[in-house]
Amino acid sequence: MTVVLDKQRKVITGNGAAAYAAMLCRPDVVAAYPITPQSEVIEQLAKFHADGVLDCQYVTVEGENSAQNVVCAATMAGGRAFTATSSYGLVYMYDAMFQTAGFRAPVVMINVNREPPGIHAVCSGQQDMISVRDTGWVQLIVEDCQEILDTTIMAFRLAEDYDIQLPVIVNYDGYYLSFLAESVEIPGIEEVDRYLEVLKSQPPRSRLVPGEPLGCGSHGIGAGYVELRKKHMAAMERVKAKIDEIDQGFSEAFGRGHGGQIEEYRTEDADVVLVTSGSAVGTARTMIDAKREAGIKVGLVKLRLYRPFPVERLSQALEGKKAIGVLDRSICFGWDCGPLYMETLALTPRIGLVPMLSFIDGLANMDITQEHIGRMIDDIYGASTGRPYQEVTWLP
Amino acid sequence: MAVERKRQPKVCDYYQNDDQFSPGVAFCSGCTLELNLRFVSRVLGKDIIFVGTPSCSAPVLHGQNVGAWHRHGYYACTMTGVASSASGLTRYYEQAGIEATVVCHTGDGCAMDVGFQTLSGAAERNEKMIYICYDNEGYMNTGIQQSSATPFGASTSTTPSGTASQGKTTGSKNMPLVMAMHDIPYVATATLSHLEDYAKKLVKAKAIAKEGFAYLHVFCPCVVGWKIPVDSSVQVCRDAVRTNYFPLWEVEDGSYRITQPVKDPKPVGELTKTLGKFKHLRDEELAILQGQVDHRFKVLQALCAGTGEPQ
Repeated sequence: MTVVLDKQRKVITGNGAAAYAAMLCRPDVVAAYPITPQSEVIEQLAKFHADGVLDCQYVTVEGENSAQNVVCAATMAGGRAFTATSSYGLVYMYDAMFQTAGFRAPVVMINVNREPPGIHAVCSGQQDMISVRDTGWVQLIVEDCQEILDTTIMAFRLAEDYDIQLPVIVNYDGYYLSFLAESVEIPGIEEVDRYLEVLKSQPPRSRLVPGEPLGCGSHGIGAGYVELRKKHMAAMERVKAKIDEIDQGFSEAFGRGHGGQIEEYRTEDADVVLVTSGSAVGTARTMIDAKREAGIKVGLVKLRLYRPFPVERLSQALEGKKAIGVLDRSICFGWDCGPLYMETLALTPRIGLVPMLSFIDGLANMDITQEHIGRMIDDIYGASTGRPYQEVTWLP
Repeated sequence: MAVERKRQPKVCDYYQNDDQFSPGVAFCSGCTLELNLRFVSRVLGKDIIFVGTPSCSAPVLHGQNVGAWHRHGYYACTMTGVASSASGLTRYYEQAGIEATVVCHTGDGCAMDVGFQTLSGAAERNEKMIYICYDNEGYMNTGIQQSSATPFGASTSTTPSGTASQGKTTGSKNMPLVMAMHDIPYVATATLSHLEDYAKKLVKAKAIAKEGFAYLHVFCPCVVGWKIPVDSSVQVCRDAVRTNYFPLWEVEDGSYRITQPVKDPKPVGELTKTLGKFKHLRDEELAILQGQVDHRFKVLQALCAGTGEPQ
């Protein structure tokens, strides 16, 4: 099959969308190791490479840890690099992910969310992305196949931005999105070139090349270390405004945007709000409409940026609401609730004390159904009217 | 009448540049690693890029003491990421058309234990690089613990000799042979008592690394860990060669050759008696060690006979 590089509309899977996006961004080096449900991404890229569509070094490594080290080093040498993984693959990269982030290496990685606990659920779940929260990577999470493609392109724009220079993970729910086939608008490769052109006019990153001695990963003991950590933190904070700006620019270039850090749905006049992320958002939107018709003034916040946490924009969206619910597809040990709930709870000094409810649903491919979300909205609404409520609810 | 004598080549003829390491670097007195690094750097040239990891070489390569450092490009990564990081560098250089010699430089613990998978993977992919393992037979930087390079009977902090123990109970991994079995273009052993032999192998490795993977296994005694006098390390290297404990050989495109044949090898006891880590060995352990040395040498001879020039 001939690969078309012009703008086109095509029915592709979430994994296909990720692969198309990566190919369109012309990475110099792709390193990958297979794992369900991600494998299709790297297989598709291998095919692009084999067909001469993708001119890159495709490194068939012997494990994810090596994949991460290959892409980190390739970006430190000055290249653009891509990898994809999931679940155990992600956690097998753990040490190398600290290195990539510490090097401020602008790697872009797809993580197809899958449960990693030892119970061996080869199923969807977001515990993998939560477990690498503090590695210093930017993390985005998206809702559908179009957003996978668009956000992956935006991820390169973000990672390599001179003000940012951080590695970025684009997360999407395994199975629900990885294998979901949808109609996706694929931009032409020249459009993507034009969109990323701005990176070339930015000051060059320092890079390791022969004849220009440079130490990557040199010892930083004491104040040197503290300075770099502080700068890393500052770059992470800059991501918030930058992702909004990049989303806006993307929207101008391609005619569609995704809201930057968060996307609000019917929140403006809402009394109560549900916060969630990933593939559950579509179902939630449907139920917001249904409950609105039933007279409950409920709104939805879709969280797109997980690291850094969109503190300001999320506070703005939640301020003045009478009750808030947070739907998590993972759990948070130590706080006996969902991790996104715990983080939202930390906004209390900014938004004031209102009933907050944690819902844990969708672990290990358990469907987050309309009925489930309907129950959640009823509970949040009930809490807003003073009805006693349970703080943490596991569904189904 | 003056006789015109043909000048014998000297080791310094292989030097490409001045020493790229400053004086005063943070190695122990008598450490072979310092000699090794300075030598590799001089023979391979100043534009090489070293890739290394937390280890004995890290205080110098990573620049812990920036007052005494070096002028090479350097990439420091995790113990598990040396050969893979080097692959990332070389692959990008290849894609960008940049000519480079990337040299991994790790101890035996990284190469043979925790970083072995990634080394094996890079070798299987025939990545274009040189991998130098400086083998000091244990985790010296962390306090002389046993590694899979630690020989049978050696006393280390995690295999100490005692009333109920005679040191490590198993032999070392035959790492150069393990690498040779990857069918990579070049594998060689080297040590610091035979610098010309080492230099030739480095030159060969540099040429071969333009096309594929070259692995060098370098015997590097550790004065602290092996409990030897600071002025004896090069002599220990020589004894290791003369006892066939560490034979010098190479395999190029599948053809094995002993590069420094030893006439009438001495018993391994001649080596072990000089090393504090073996001083507890009784005759029966020594016999086991001798048996292992003899067996390995026989395998090597068979490989040479089967594939290369007759020895």
